[in-house]
Amino acid sequence: MLGRSVMMSVGTLCLVLISGCGYNQIQGLDEETNAAWSEVLNQYQRRADLIPNLVNTVKGYAAHERETLESVTRARAQVGSIMATPELLRDPAAFEKFQQAQRELSSALSRLLAVAEQYPDLKANENFRDLQSQLEGTENRVTVARKRYIDKVAEYNKAVRFFPTNLTAKYILHAEVKPTFTVADEKAVSRPPEVKF
Amino acid sequence: MLSAELSKPLVISTLCLAWLSVAIALDVPPLTGRIVDLAGLLPPDMESALSSELAAHEQRTGNQVALLTLPTLEGESLEDYAHRVATSWKLGQKGTDNGVLLLVVPRERRIRIEVGYGLEGTLTDAVSARIIRHVIVPRFRSGDFAEGISAGLKAILGTIEGTATPVESAHPGNSASGGAFSVFVTAVILGALIGVMVGRSLRVLAGGVSGLLSFFLAMPSGVYLALAAGAVGMVVAFVLAALSGAGRRGGRGWDGGWGPGWGGGYGGGGFPSSSDSFSGGGGDFGGGGASGRW
Repeated sequence: MLGRSVMMSVGTLCLVLISGCGYNQIQGLDEETNAAWSEVLNQYQRRADLIPNLVNTVKGYAAHERETLESVTRARAQVGSIMATPELLRDPAAFEKFQQAQRELSSALSRLLAVAEQYPDLKANENFRDLQSQLEGTENRVTVARKRYIDKVAEYNKAVRFFPTNLTAKYILHAEVKPTFTVADEKAVSRPPEVKF
Repeated sequence: MLSAELSKPLVISTLCLAWLSVAIALDVPPLTGRIVDLAGLLPPDMESALSSELAAHEQRTGNQVALLTLPTLEGESLEDYAHRVATSWKLGQKGTDNGVLLLVVPRERRIRIEVGYGLEGTLTDAVSARIIRHVIVPRFRSGDFAEGISAGLKAILGTIEGTATPVESAHPGNSASGGAFSVFVTAVILGALIGVMVGRSLRVLAGGVSGLLSFFLAMPSGVYLALAAGAVGMVVAFVLAALSGAGRRGGRGWDGGWGPGWGGGYGGGGFPSSSDSFSGGGGDFGGGGASGRW
């Protein structure tokens, strides 16, 4: 009788410890962070997919803006050359490189749109306006996806750093804090485009 | 020149003011109905007509469309604000995310159509932008705000009319609280088990201890859940203890044990009241839609 109740106590204690040590919490947050990251990639991809069409439309009206057009195409190719996988999150240097490429594409795109402002025919073109609104919508989706990723990573990193879940993170899961977007990115995104005449 | 004594309180009060203005700018107005006309752009009869049209549309399709007019953004970004309002109002049904918010800000002359995930395929960014450009802006430019809003909402409804997603009769909380439910059950079972073991001889103790244990085990998932888990855990432990006691000692029944306990149960546990007033169905927004100005 005594043996049975002791065993039951030990069993229950184990259950309590497992639910309290954060193993499931960290695993769950890891999965959610990856999902949030996939959404960021998804929206970046959507932006990249819009570019050929946009470049072609602008070309039809402003073919001699070759440099601006080429810089957009180049930046897009650069973005496409980086394999954006969840593994990227484990490598801060690769993450930074990815961010750098996306930043360059952002600024090339805003230069293109600023150039387009000077062509009234292009601005009145319904196709261009559709593309422009799609691009704006996608940029906005990128912002939302990034914000959700930042929030998720903050939650995850907290679990990895705080006691007692940090013990589980360190000794059982070997989990490390994940990289997140920095203020430099935000600045680059919100900076008005430079226009040179 | 300001002296140091003078400038310090000045700096502090400026900081306080800055903080205050940020706090005010961040406010999302309460969802008082499908039409929240804070800028006063609509005459009352038109407001009620539009409101019932939006309600009828929701009846047919499940889509939740709402309008917010705001006097000014107070320097806040239109897109950020629209997204925050839409997500905190939770327009659209949970899972199908079929909500739309039309936001009109007269002072900054800005318009935004914020589209929920589920409608992004029909009410695309380009279509939203066209509605703003061709339907709303021309009427706003001639000063006819009520007409512009009405025509804009009708264009939105017309676009998403075909996308019927039947309103589910299930409780909105059901699918959301899957995780909460498992926490609840775990807490009750663990609490009851430990409680029974501790209080094998004393039933009063069994109920109380397991109630407390269930409460604390469920606490990380919310106070209401914890209260409910505590109450149920206490009852379960009490019954278990009583049964085991009854088996051995010939059934002394329900004496003692029902102390000043956790009578709470599920009161106010996150289920929206089922009155007629409008409330969001739990839809989510990913930043789709379009912005415009007039």
